[in-house]
Amino acid sequence: MRKDEIRPALLMILPACLFIGALAIFPILHAFRISLDRRMPVFGISYFVGLDNYRFLLQDPRFWQSFLNTAYFSLLSVSLELALGLLLAILLHGSFRGRGLFRAVVLIPWAIPTVVSARMWEWILNPDFGLLNYLLQQIGLLSSPLNWLGDRVLAMHALILADVWKTSPFVALILLTGLQMIPEELYEAARVDGAGRWQIFRRITFPLLLPFILIALLFRTLDAFRIFDLVYVLTGGGPANTTETLSLYAYKLLFQTLQFGYGSAVAVATFLTVLLISAAYISLLRRQHHG
Amino acid sequence: MRKAASTALAFFIVIGFGCTQERSLTERKTEPRIVFAHFKVPSPETLSGLIEAFERQNPGVKVIEEILPASTDQQHQFYVTALEGRSAAFDVFALDVIWVQEFARAGWLLDLSPRLGGERLAEFLPGPVEAATYNDRIHAVPWFANAGILYFRKDLLSKYGFAPPRTFKELSHQAVTILAGEQDPDLKGFVWQGKQYEGLICVALEFIHGNGGSVLEGHHSALRDKQAVEALQLMHDLIAINKVSPPLVTSADEEATRHLFGAGRAIFMRNWPYALALYEQEGSKVRGKVGIAPLPSFEGYQSAPTLGGWLLGVNRFSTRPDLARKLVEFLTSQAAQKALAIKLGFPPARDALYHDAELKMANPFISPLYEAMRRARPRPITPFYLMISQVLQPELSAAIMGVKPPERALEDASRLIEHILKLEVQ
Repeated sequence: MRKDEIRPALLMILPACLFIGALAIFPILHAFRISLDRRMPVFGISYFVGLDNYRFLLQDPRFWQSFLNTAYFSLLSVSLELALGLLLAILLHGSFRGRGLFRAVVLIPWAIPTVVSARMWEWILNPDFGLLNYLLQQIGLLSSPLNWLGDRVLAMHALILADVWKTSPFVALILLTGLQMIPEELYEAARVDGAGRWQIFRRITFPLLLPFILIALLFRTLDAFRIFDLVYVLTGGGPANTTETLSLYAYKLLFQTLQFGYGSAVAVATFLTVLLISAAYISLLRRQHHG
Repeated sequence: MRKAASTALAFFIVIGFGCTQERSLTERKTEPRIVFAHFKVPSPETLSGLIEAFERQNPGVKVIEEILPASTDQQHQFYVTALEGRSAAFDVFALDVIWVQEFARAGWLLDLSPRLGGERLAEFLPGPVEAATYNDRIHAVPWFANAGILYFRKDLLSKYGFAPPRTFKELSHQAVTILAGEQDPDLKGFVWQGKQYEGLICVALEFIHGNGGSVLEGHHSALRDKQAVEALQLMHDLIAINKVSPPLVTSADEEATRHLFGAGRAIFMRNWPYALALYEQEGSKVRGKVGIAPLPSFEGYQSAPTLGGWLLGVNRFSTRPDLARKLVEFLTSQAAQKALAIKLGFPPARDALYHDAELKMANPFISPLYEAMRRARPRPITPFYLMISQVLQPELSAAIMGVKPPERALEDASRLIEHILKLEVQ
């Protein structure tokens, strides 16, 4: 860049920097600042405590339980979404009659607002009137109805099921774009060389799709780690806190019991974890790109 | 350039002038106006009608209704945010029974004792008055009350020759007998709200209070006492051992249990009185088959339903406190509570209305509620209630699910509760 170009260039990116600063960086710094206070305005409490909230957090069993819940939820739901999304993308990529309609139908779950789909799942999972128990009993997989949201092992998996249903189409959409970017000639050449289906997938489709897979993983892991609305509606964190996630715990601290200092510390801890995950993915993406 | 600037300047001056003139006009036109913030009531005409009557009694006064979102969490957030900033945007507001202590301690409620002390308080039910009293001063006026009640299937109980149960033991015995006799796999015994949320606390307190226990004693937790432990043990046993309550109660809230009982699939249900009118509507599967009774207790103790309901308070930062207090007095008057009970089914917070002949005629559901309303006990009376509730919810859930033995769950809750109560001393 020439010297006389630097000043106008800086000027041009200034609005974007101010925008990001005001909307993203300032609130994060502010949350960090508050997390160093003991602050409960309703009780007239507000003073600086340094890292006390973080010290408390490290020994707070409820924080660790919600951390593990969130990690388990993210790991399982994102893996399933990736597998299902890939399958859907491959199906949608093929040419068949009614493909346009099928593509539109597959996207419906993604288009429904989470709170609405959570209400819907609340009824599907209802132990007494729910559709899921009914279907499983009809096909003979279950002899008596299961208490999906009130069982300490099932509840978390019911949430994962609802999340997979909702977000697999999103993963499929990203991967479909990737599939469509792969030049047809590569496949033709491979077929001419006598490669089998599995070989083509392993040697051509998968490596070329990898950047898209990593992007889908990045988006989905970050979203899953912040999961709130689904849990809030379906279980409220119960039974016995087995489905309480970090965002829900932070929400309860911040907005239900108004402990702004400690609540902010939990929110900052969530933010840092998400930041670490993003950094890991992005470095993977980079390495993949250069290699 | 300069011309453009001066045109713009002139434009803004005109706009600004226009605004100020408009404001002074409206100020002159509508003299005293007060704002009443509340949640959305069913068929809002009734409340608006009452407000119009107040305006007719006070010529020149205008009352504006500010309707808040339905969720009580969101209403709480709204009030806290506004009052923290000493907002005078509303003068009168509706308070959930569990907020009064918190807001009174924060100094956000006008002390209403001077006009409401002594004998006039005796006109209200004891539970709501206890909820409204902080440091011996009255900070809000009971508007309408609520209390947990036992719903039962009249037809099934009389088929087996049972009277409504007075103790949990009787209830278990009756449920087991009827379930065995009916041989209906869809029929459940006793359903209640066991999901991890505020409703679970209401139910658990009915078991704990109904066994002579309590949550707090001064600045200490009373949950380590034998009474509380026995109460939670029973809740757990009802599901896991006696099979009187189906496992689904651990994810059930009010609506889930209401639908189940309404579909004719439960013998007993614990719920608030709102379901009663719905069950008697045309098309209801249980129409004419539903009986209500005070909740059971442990042997040797009295029924102890949990108090719900709402109060009206005056914002301490209101610029028209006298007028606001007048509106509170009007809306909590005998006549207003009677109108709300007849048209909206809100159970009155005034004792005398339960014996009012006209009200009994208009709403036959009111008088059977009297005993429950008289006995209703507030949740722990402390400004820190919402924090205590957050601590209790997962522990109670763990105990009824059998994740932790009741002793341990209550010990863990006690330790956290005592930690919270230290805030008061600081």
